[in-house]
Amino acid sequence: MDLLYFEDFPVGEVVEFGDRVVMAEEIVEFAREFDPQPFHLDEAAARESMAGGLIASGWHSAALMMRINCDEVFLRSSAQGSPGIESIDWLKPVRPGDRLSVRRTTLGARTSRSRPDIGVVEMRFELMNQNREVVMQQQGPVFFGRRANGEPQP
Amino acid sequence: MIGLWYEDHEVGQTAPLGAHRFTREAILDFARKFDPQPFHLDEAAATKSIFGGLCASGWHTVSVSMRMLVDGRHAQRKALATQGEKPPPLGLGRGVRDLRWSAPVRPGDEIAFSLRIDSMRETRRPDWGLIGMRIMGVNQHGREVCAYTLLGLAARRPA
Repeated sequence: MDLLYFEDFPVGEVVEFGDRVVMAEEIVEFAREFDPQPFHLDEAAARESMAGGLIASGWHSAALMMRINCDEVFLRSSAQGSPGIESIDWLKPVRPGDRLSVRRTTLGARTSRSRPDIGVVEMRFELMNQNREVVMQQQGPVFFGRRANGEPQP
Repeated sequence: MIGLWYEDHEVGQTAPLGAHRFTREAILDFARKFDPQPFHLDEAAATKSIFGGLCASGWHTVSVSMRMLVDGRHAQRKALATQGEKPPPLGLGRGVRDLRWSAPVRPGDEIAFSLRIDSMRETRRPDWGLIGMRIMGVNQHGREVCAYTLLGLAARRPA
């Protein structure tokens, strides 16, 4: 498959992809390593908390969305990482058994002044559950390599 | 040390969160699970990338910073409990603003994390306040590797 380059992300494009079910065991496993708070670790303790039941760490949701983005876009692209993220909003809890997908919107695109071989694509990623509720929203730039001059456009 | 109730916070307060060494194994393990891009998994491919060598996923770095924050608070909650005081209920995170991955985290790097209270405001719920804390990670050469503002709910001290 041909690699996706900077030029392949037109501004205004909206694409949906991914299908990932989150299991209780992986919520707990992530929490044990990175976010060991009761509402991410233990169903009974979580019920007593403001979460009202076991929920994934917000950082786990971010990591899962990254994995979906890698599998569906970045690994077949010239992606060169990101300098940061403008905003992340955890809008609704992610619970065991939730089925996650991603909606990506291309908000803007510009070439890098210091690195002419790199383009910066401003993207919004929305993580959705099986009811198409947005559980997390994230916005920020991603670096992509540019298609070399003379290379045919797809 | 910054207290755990909303009222214990003050804009400008700072606190260290401790240091964490990123091993090559941990960097590869996180990347395999969540961010399998070549520059997080493969030294040869990473050398040719924008990063010039293998580096941790930015999501790994911020996840570790969360662990440092949670561990520090957990110790404080235990200390309160041993004094016979009930620790406040735990609040959830609402989001993140202005997250920067300023420099790559390399295998063997030791990152010192710290926090600074940047904002405080009351919410519509009388028992919770919203705190903005800037969390920063600095490597063994004194260079910032990541920084972000975490917006989180903190319980208000009962009157």
